[in-house]
Amino acid sequence: MLTLRNILIFSIFISLCLSCNKKRKGMDKPFLLNKLSEKISGIDFKNILTEDLEHSIINYIYFYNGGGVSAGDINNDGLPDLYFVSNQGENKLFLNKGNLTFEDISKKAKIDSASDWNTGTTMVDINNDGFLDIYVCTVSGLLDFKGRNELFINNGDNTFTERAQEYGLDFEGFSTQAYFFDYDKDGDLDVYIVNHATHTITSHGKASLRNKRAPFVGDVLLKNNNGKFTDVSEKAKIFGGVNGYGLSASIADFNNDGWDDIYVCNDFHEDDYYYINNQDGTFREELKKSFSTISRFSMGSDVADINGDGFQDLITLDMLPNDERVLKETEGDDAMYNMQEKLRKQGYKDQYSRNTLQINEKGDYFYETALLNNVADTDWSWSPLFADFDNDGHQDLFISNGINRRPNGLDFKKYVSSTFKQKSEAESLDWLFKSINEMSSGKVTNEIYKGNSNTFKKKTGSWIEQKPSLSNGAIYVDLDLDGDLDIVINNLNNFAGIYENSTNKKRNSISLKFNYKINNKNGLGTKAILYNSGKKQLKQLFSSRGFISSVEQKIHFGLDSLTEIDSISIIWPDNTFQKIKSPEINKTLSIDYKENNPVYYYPKNNVSGKIFKTANSIDFKHKEDFYYDFNREKIIPYQVSKLGPAFAIGDIDGNGFDDIYLGGSSGNVAELYLNNGKSFKKSVQKQFENDANYEDNDAVFLDADNDGDLDLYVATGINKIRDSRFEVDRLYINKKGKFEKSRNRTLINPLNTSCVASYDYDNDGDEDLFIGNLSNPGGFGADVNSAILINNGQGKFNADLTFKLNSKVTDAIWIDINNDGQKDLLVSSEWGAPKVFINSNGKLSLVEIAENLEGLWQSITAYDIDKDGDKDILLGNWGLNTKFNPTLKNPLTMYYGDFDQNNRKETVITYSKNGKKYPVNSKDELAAQMNIVSKQFVEHKDYALKTVEEILSVEGIKKALKFTVNTLASGYLENNDGDFKTFKQFPKELQYAPIGSFDFIDVNKEKRVIISGNSLSVNTYHGGYTSLKGVLLKSITEYDFVSNFGILPFNTKIKGIKSVEMKNEKLLLVVSNNDSIQTYFYKK
Amino acid sequence: MSLSQKIFFIIIISLFISCQKESKKIVITANDYHKVVDKLTEVMIHDVFSPPVASRVYVYPNIAAYEVLNSGDSNYMSLVNQIKGLVSFSANTTKGDVNKKLAALIAYLNIAKELVFSKVDVKIYRDSLFTVWKTENEAVFLKAKKYASPYTEHILKLMHSDNYKETRNMPDFNISSENDSRWEPTPPAYMKGIEPSWGSIRSFILDTPSEFKPTPPPKFSLEKDSPFYKELRYVYDLTNEIKEKGNNSEEIKIAKFWDCNPFVVVNKGHFMFASKKITPGAHWIGICQIASKKINSNFSKTVFAYTKTSIAISDAFISCWDEKYRSNLVRPETLINKFIDDTWTPLLQTPPFPEYTSGHSVVSAAAAEVLTDIFGDNFSFNDTTELPYGLPVRRFSSFKSAAKEAAISRVYGGIHYSSAVEEGFVQGMKIGKKVNTKLIFTR
Repeated sequence: MLTLRNILIFSIFISLCLSCNKKRKGMDKPFLLNKLSEKISGIDFKNILTEDLEHSIINYIYFYNGGGVSAGDINNDGLPDLYFVSNQGENKLFLNKGNLTFEDISKKAKIDSASDWNTGTTMVDINNDGFLDIYVCTVSGLLDFKGRNELFINNGDNTFTERAQEYGLDFEGFSTQAYFFDYDKDGDLDVYIVNHATHTITSHGKASLRNKRAPFVGDVLLKNNNGKFTDVSEKAKIFGGVNGYGLSASIADFNNDGWDDIYVCNDFHEDDYYYINNQDGTFREELKKSFSTISRFSMGSDVADINGDGFQDLITLDMLPNDERVLKETEGDDAMYNMQEKLRKQGYKDQYSRNTLQINEKGDYFYETALLNNVADTDWSWSPLFADFDNDGHQDLFISNGINRRPNGLDFKKYVSSTFKQKSEAESLDWLFKSINEMSSGKVTNEIYKGNSNTFKKKTGSWIEQKPSLSNGAIYVDLDLDGDLDIVINNLNNFAGIYENSTNKKRNSISLKFNYKINNKNGLGTKAILYNSGKKQLKQLFSSRGFISSVEQKIHFGLDSLTEIDSISIIWPDNTFQKIKSPEINKTLSIDYKENNPVYYYPKNNVSGKIFKTANSIDFKHKEDFYYDFNREKIIPYQVSKLGPAFAIGDIDGNGFDDIYLGGSSGNVAELYLNNGKSFKKSVQKQFENDANYEDNDAVFLDADNDGDLDLYVATGINKIRDSRFEVDRLYINKKGKFEKSRNRTLINPLNTSCVASYDYDNDGDEDLFIGNLSNPGGFGADVNSAILINNGQGKFNADLTFKLNSKVTDAIWIDINNDGQKDLLVSSEWGAPKVFINSNGKLSLVEIAENLEGLWQSITAYDIDKDGDKDILLGNWGLNTKFNPTLKNPLTMYYGDFDQNNRKETVITYSKNGKKYPVNSKDELAAQMNIVSKQFVEHKDYALKTVEEILSVEGIKKALKFTVNTLASGYLENNDGDFKTFKQFPKELQYAPIGSFDFIDVNKEKRVIISGNSLSVNTYHGGYTSLKGVLLKSITEYDFVSNFGILPFNTKIKGIKSVEMKNEKLLLVVSNNDSIQTYFYKK
Repeated sequence: MSLSQKIFFIIIISLFISCQKESKKIVITANDYHKVVDKLTEVMIHDVFSPPVASRVYVYPNIAAYEVLNSGDSNYMSLVNQIKGLVSFSANTTKGDVNKKLAALIAYLNIAKELVFSKVDVKIYRDSLFTVWKTENEAVFLKAKKYASPYTEHILKLMHSDNYKETRNMPDFNISSENDSRWEPTPPAYMKGIEPSWGSIRSFILDTPSEFKPTPPPKFSLEKDSPFYKELRYVYDLTNEIKEKGNNSEEIKIAKFWDCNPFVVVNKGHFMFASKKITPGAHWIGICQIASKKINSNFSKTVFAYTKTSIAISDAFISCWDEKYRSNLVRPETLINKFIDDTWTPLLQTPPFPEYTSGHSVVSAAAAEVLTDIFGDNFSFNDTTELPYGLPVRRFSSFKSAAKEAAISRVYGGIHYSSAVEEGFVQGMKIGKKVNTKLIFTR
């Protein structure tokens, strides 16, 4: 029998057991990277912030940016030690005693800075005495912050002496981080210091402000002259304006020319800077030339060769949230249109508030793939780190996250506005400071992704704890020398995070450290290329990485299960190299520089093999008109008034050479270029001049009236002032080279016509037309019909009443897919599935194709892509590198209905998360179109997480027209004996942006498909999609970027590409929306 | 409970009930009306209504109150068939004495509730008043409520047919133009043009929105000796001169006093947010209140004064906005930054709509004209309207002198050219005069 006493004992026993269990569970190391208690590690550092009236995010925008951390072996015992920066408190130095235990030696070491506000830290052996010194960046001259950057010289006995002034490194200003590297190859380490602007009236000025150096704020490049640093920024052509909101930089030899380049991340409206080293002590800034998509609020960054092509790729971080609630409660890019327009006028590049993952294409340019890799929206992100955390030979990615208070909360803004009254400057600051508790917390989890040299996959929750935190500076470092990389994080108002990597010896690895020449002993800038069985990994040694932090001066390679390596090439900063054959693994190799190494020759791009040569044959620039769809339909996802230019070729004058028609946007005259085999001459066409008001979307030359010459049908789009007289298609009859507009020959088509295709489908000896309509200019979501026009033999057209197609058509082609000698009709459409019509003697029958192909299809054609002898159907969709990410289970849905009962229908788009449909638009955007939303949801937090049914009523949704999109992947329908029931996705190189056009060309007498697209018609929620730089494809396994053949990468929206025969060669015409035509010669 | 206890309890209860039953008279004074107007202003500031929309929010509750109060009145005339769209409707069937002042307040609150975003705020305020009145005298209250009901519905119908709903879906102002004379968004927030279709809202007494169409602004030109450029240069030189004089100059005091821009954006550290203020219309509604209070206007005169003033203000906005989005003229700030001095900023923040004509000038002139007609010329007053927003009191000798100051304040502020102020003032006077002659309020 249990007495009370027994029960008591029993329960004590049980709870003891439970706690034992808990402890044991904790010891189980559930993650790849397991947090180590500060009690075990001895690292009890916290970056504690004290806010007061004079010091808060109200008067210092970077108050929550946190402190950095740096690693390095300061006492040369082989174990990396750690230095932590506290913004306001004491910096700390922890000596690594082995077995993941540390000793705080800060007091003795005398490493605390005397400056009021500390930010970044980096370890560097500045005097090359074999002992690492510590450099600390500080903010001074702002508010009452006093001080300067500090340099703690290592005395060799675990004590330090601050001697920045002696070295000329006592920079005074708003510093974030220092990057030591040898920019001029004189053998010693120079330094690039990133400084940040703060909001002032002038920092919001023109982009050209960056040319005017501003003290304190502008970045500086300091040159090392025998141990004394001097400012050479101006001479080196480094920008340093009041608008330089620099938060990080990444140093790398991006173009593999042997000289190190700089990428600088700038917050807010200022563009990032991409400085290419001119190899003469100067740099040239080439951001606009090399990047098409960049982060708006660029914060931390890192570089690494993530795809094993030998060129270093780049990630920049921003603050786009992933959480649906936060998305709707905070301000993002949605409301940026006016601002963006203004910034564009001021000379800034379009920027988008999301992380970017920039893939380096042979050092020539970068294409951006963050959305495709699902790394675009990690919320308020600071430090990205590329490293091989699981030692599998591929770069993984860690991102530190979190902001103490979100200053961009919409309800907070509203709260402040409602309560704020005209007060004196001091009073209002006081009041604002008291309100900061109303700001919502931005604690979010850090993220980790596993890489496979191809894509990234999120592993948060299995590789590392999924736990909201405020993490700023972060590094990787092998603290316990067990061959894997541990993670160290400087957290705000909390203990630093030490995450022990449990890969241990399960997978092999190798680390390299260098012993270079006397003035750069640790060999910063050295590259190592690890070769194994035809695969290579390239890394370059720089210590300042991520955000305000620096890693150990070592290179680490994961080797997976490899037990030996073919070789490692070491390319020293002086561009000589040495090869290490079969190095010993699972240890840190120390590599000594050898004199008389051979010079390393970087592989050059194969210029001679380029097929296409720039021609400049036609001087035509398409210019869009000012019509802006979002003024009328405020919440549609993209514009449909920018489909031009119309582009058709045909031999008008019968001289054997194809002539070119290029139709303009509304208000611009269409041009006809006549080709004499050697050059082009504009043909003056009175009727085209009279018809300038029409918007030309597409055109086709055909002999409509059967008189032996080519007439012209022009598919017409949206007129710039919506004058419906100019929104109908036109047929021009060729009268001896003069085009006259026909009357009453075709049906009046007032819809937004996207495409026209001609063919004698009924085989009666005259050409008929397929007319594809994309939208009704009055309502984006409204149903539209397309038509087939039958030619009566004399150029009068009537609709084929048996043909019905209710679909938002984007592209169509007549092409024989079943080898019966009759061309069939392929149609691509948005908000629906593509359509395949088999033609049998003029009877078109719809063919069943693979299911669930509702997409935003942009283009279609037929081509034997799998080389099995029959034609497959190629389908261009939006691609997988977009903010929309629909699946069959979580589709994108468009509703078209009158939700606010004002007798006008609205188009509302929703995306789905976990089966719930949320509107794409913010509350304010939705309210701009439907006033009722403002009355229904006063606060943004009321609106957040509401489904579309909750917002627009179940009944309203039920009544509305509905369209869904299940997939955005481009791909092809495989032809299996005439069946098209299998859809196969294209490889990722064809998913980077919408595919707008498949065009056939013959290269060396072999057929190729040239694939192009991109979209800049999307709203600010999307920003712009320009990562499809052009692909030349032979088959599904043989394709390459056009830039490898001599064609400039595509940064614009490409309308189409056509080839015309000239007398001695062929001419490739690349036609863009709102840009100049590009022409290239190539061999017949 | 013993029997005696029970009895005692019952007695207490019945005493309590009979206490409640003993009806009080519900006394409604002009001050009660001022209070509901103030409440509406407060909610409007919270909701950030643009100046034209705010004028609409003010006018309909007043009209409803006025009609409830005065149908069949011996002194005041109903506005039925006097203002556009207000047709006659079935007379009230409520028998016996009705507390019409109470009914007028009820109608005011019920209309106001439908006009704001923060409906709940008005509803809570209304319901608390309802509870008080109900407690005071339930029968009288219910009767008044019933009496107000058909009027409320009729005015709601009027309100819903003024094209407001339709204008919500009309296109935004197109800013993608390279024409230097065309308005474009201005710093610091680059907001889109506010209410580009306000000219198509049904007016009250104007035959058409363009009835008092002002002469067009001087022809756009950047030639140094053109009238337009001279006006532009004048704004630049004058504001520089004023800035030099410093914050205590009379011009700066005047400019700030009449700012009345609900869209002012404040930059503090990481923040950019709107610092809320009343609209120009609200300022003149405030002046109307000051005048009414000064002469202790009775309830009827108070309602009359508000109603007439708010009608004038509403039509002034329609007329002014009609012109703004006809001329689409660029603001001085845009041109000065582009062609004269890229560091120049105006003293006041440029509001987000085209320049010509000045809304303050049109509205102030129209309101002053009407107020003079109601309260007389040379009516001096201390303008305390801006006190809650941290601005001082200013004293004026007449409504017109206040209006003139309001108008010129926009040039001092660096946000308008002289023509917009001068022509705007003429435009507003004409509107005020027409309200005075066309609408018959008293028998």
